[in-house]
Amino acid sequence: MIGNVANLGRWEWFKLRKRWMLWILLTFAILFAQLAVWGQFFSYQNLVRTGGELTVPASLQQSQGRAPRTVACNDLLSGDAARQPADLDAQVVAGLAAQCRQLAAAQPDRLARAYQSFTLPGAFTAALGIVQTLALILMAILTSSAIGIDYGSGTLRSVLTKGTGRWPYLTAKLLTLVLLAGFGFFITLATVAVSGLIAGAIAGAAATSPNVTARTWSDAGIAFTKAWASVIPYLALTTFVTVFARSSAAGMAIGLGYYFLEQIVIALFSGLFSWFQNVADFFLVRNISAWTAAAGASGGGFGGGGTLPDTTHAAIVLSIYTLAFGAAAFWFFERRDVQGATAG
Amino acid sequence: MAVVRQDGSFVIETSELTKSYGDVIAVDHLSLRVPRGGVFGFLGPNGSGKTTTMGMLLGLVHPTSGEARIFGDPARHAATLKRVGAMVETPTFYPYLSGRANLRYFQGISGRGSPSEVERLLDVVDLAQRANSKFGGYSLGMKQRLGVACALLGDPELVFLDEPTNGLDPAGVVEVRELIRNLGTGGRTVVLSSHLLAETELVCDNVAVLSRGRLIAQGTIQELLREHDALRLRTTDDAAARVTLAGLSWIERTEERDGALLVTAPQERAWEITRALAARGVYVNEIVPLHRSLEEYFMEITGTDPTTGKERQ
Repeated sequence: MIGNVANLGRWEWFKLRKRWMLWILLTFAILFAQLAVWGQFFSYQNLVRTGGELTVPASLQQSQGRAPRTVACNDLLSGDAARQPADLDAQVVAGLAAQCRQLAAAQPDRLARAYQSFTLPGAFTAALGIVQTLALILMAILTSSAIGIDYGSGTLRSVLTKGTGRWPYLTAKLLTLVLLAGFGFFITLATVAVSGLIAGAIAGAAATSPNVTARTWSDAGIAFTKAWASVIPYLALTTFVTVFARSSAAGMAIGLGYYFLEQIVIALFSGLFSWFQNVADFFLVRNISAWTAAAGASGGGFGGGGTLPDTTHAAIVLSIYTLAFGAAAFWFFERRDVQGATAG
Repeated sequence: MAVVRQDGSFVIETSELTKSYGDVIAVDHLSLRVPRGGVFGFLGPNGSGKTTTMGMLLGLVHPTSGEARIFGDPARHAATLKRVGAMVETPTFYPYLSGRANLRYFQGISGRGSPSEVERLLDVVDLAQRANSKFGGYSLGMKQRLGVACALLGDPELVFLDEPTNGLDPAGVVEVRELIRNLGTGGRTVVLSSHLLAETELVCDNVAVLSRGRLIAQGTIQELLREHDALRLRTTDDAAARVTLAGLSWIERTEERDGALLVTAPQERAWEITRALAARGVYVNEIVPLHRSLEEYFMEITGTDPTTGKERQ
């Protein structure tokens, strides 16, 4: 049984690696992670150069009708008249300078946090916060496509007549996809590591602050493991829908649509009914956000707002979702008659 | 139902095998035995239940009731299916993989055979030149040939081929016919489903005929056709001859057709017919043995055209 599943997994990889989709999705993940690293790097550089920026609304500018503009705290606090904004009233400038002085007190903490977010190992956690959200969507696309093609092209019939067995075949597919998710995270983080080293070298000496706890490799490891594990319940949902509907299109539509639908539903009903927050605490994506947020990854800002459930609650709820969707998918896969191509 | 003669071991045995979809019965209490070795024709009009039966034998379709065994084991068992090759309906492969990659994949998941076998089979089905082209770009005939090659991966003991000559040009049909004939030697069994009865007659040793989900005939082609052997007679007095022949219990039927008498009876007893007629003073001017084709036999017992599947007018 294990040997059969391992062999089927090997050949699943043979199929998947010959699809452009896999590499395109991986490229997306890498690009987003790079955006996270270099975005943080340029924010840090900007913070160093400007000492922080303040936005001046159009109403405070002497020349009315202009768009809001920013002023750099380093300019305001430099004492150099040539660097003071000429188009602002002296009182406004004084007010802005006062704000800048407050910012300057917190500047070492801000610089330390910004520096950690693009250098190792903190860059891993920061990148995972972005990529983990994207990974759910990318895995929904990949899963529905990898499973749905056997219905759309009718290849499930050819596969099963080779004596693979239904359970081993679906198990091998899912295990391969889970491993691929881990592989995707790993490759993405490898590129983050390279970028982090380069960005760190460009940035020069590390910015530190006694108030900011240094990110550890242990934090990065936990964030990686949690991000990887977080795709499993979503993969189970997409698998169930694809198998149930016998269609990659349906799996993809639900996989993508549910993610956003849940946010909308929570935002809408939580505002209308106070008790809905308790119901929302059992929703899938919200618990994924809760699970990853506890490790330092923010969950991409998703989760529907409000206080997220704790990690234990999230782990239990996600396990139940995984088992329920997984069991249903296997049941339908095992019990249904296999027909020809559905072209969907 | 026709007389079934079977002996020796059977590679396929079904007992009261039934599949229904709601009120529609696709396969109705089918009890079938396929002997080991040779080419077995699985015939029937469209919608007669051939593909559903194959599906049940291959573990693709769950029977509503009854039992199906291959090599004496339950047909659904993965270990049993490892000894089977199949091409059911239209060949299905991954469109983004080449023909060679598809064969490598299916060989890999079956866990049998070697890479050299893939190359050999590509040669056998004449696809070696296009082996690196994507399956999605194949013509229907090429897809069909790849399906045959896939069914033969791992040198299976039992091969199911469902309409293997679909989409092939005449030369391809001849090639596949020869291939099937060769496959049926050396102890391997080929179950061939086809509506091209002339082709089937040329390659099959045994056949089973399904109609509306029921088995209506099974046996060797010779046996089945012999049951419907006929003699054409021209006599000195056809009316008297009909009266005389009506008295012979072993004659199945006598009818007048095209100015002659068509007598459905065993051809080896022709001498008894001429003797009985002569005894009544009726003499035979002409006696010709008539052999029906499988197609004529099929149309007679199923009442349908084998190509269109429509009922005969």
